[in-house]
Amino acid sequence: MPEYLETTLDKFIFKVATDRYYNREGVWAKFEANLVRIGLSDFLQQRSGDVAFADIKPVSSSLDFGEEVAVIETIKVDISLSSPVAGVVVEVNPAMESSPEAINQDPYGAGWLAVIEAYDWETDRARLLDHQSYFDHMKVEAEEETKKR
Amino acid sequence: MTGAKQKHSVIIVPCSGIGKTYGTVSREAAYYLTEDARPAETRLVPLSLLVLGDEAARAALADSPAVTIDGCKLACATKMVEECGGSVAREFAVLEVYRRNKQFKPKGIAELNEGGQQLAQALAQEIAAVVDTLVSEESERGENG
Repeated sequence: MPEYLETTLDKFIFKVATDRYYNREGVWAKFEANLVRIGLSDFLQQRSGDVAFADIKPVSSSLDFGEEVAVIETIKVDISLSSPVAGVVVEVNPAMESSPEAINQDPYGAGWLAVIEAYDWETDRARLLDHQSYFDHMKVEAEEETKKR
Repeated sequence: MTGAKQKHSVIIVPCSGIGKTYGTVSREAAYYLTEDARPAETRLVPLSLLVLGDEAARAALADSPAVTIDGCKLACATKMVEECGGSVAREFAVLEVYRRNKQFKPKGIAELNEGGQQLAQALAQEIAAVVDTLVSEESERGENG
């Protein structure tokens, strides 16, 4: 079980798992023995709303850093998600076909999107935010969202 | 409303979410069901009346099973019916129906696009099947009792 940084804004609680890296839009990347598992941060899934469908690039797709890896359709918006790592998709979460709500229910666990075999994890990692930097970035975004309501 | 109709009516309570596409889908489905598809077997009770404590709306729930249609996971329609002491025979969530009908992508708020209208009709058809079952079960109970 990962540990979390946590902040409360209005009636919302946002968690950031401390065992992974993030791009600025809120896609996380977790290094696991030469493979990188990716998914949505808690803030990104809450801001986006209930997921209706998740279309993820299929296995064997080659991705550049920042290239679209998935499109998430929620009750509010369609979001294009950019890959936090360059590499080849080696696994897509089979639950996304039948139960994409896992993204909302367990964004850091069962709601993962895909596993990517990275071309150069160390280079990509240097371009991502660590959990504390993402937490700070997320808090600013969340506060701006709250002001808009 | 005749006595026979009252006996067999199913109460339909849709989401009251204003300004939300899925809320509009839930209400359009309820209108289609209660006005066109199953007007004799169903009766629409607005969620807002339950929230306001309207006695007639609450009384309707005491006599008949309810089918709720929720636009989001807050499930206000279902929760409110239960809070009013009603019996929720079946709860529908617009999102789940959309997942079964991906071709009908809803858009719009005050006015739904064609996909939204088709989704509302698909939802209404699913509820109509449930209504038929409930009415049939009620009839059987009436004949046996």
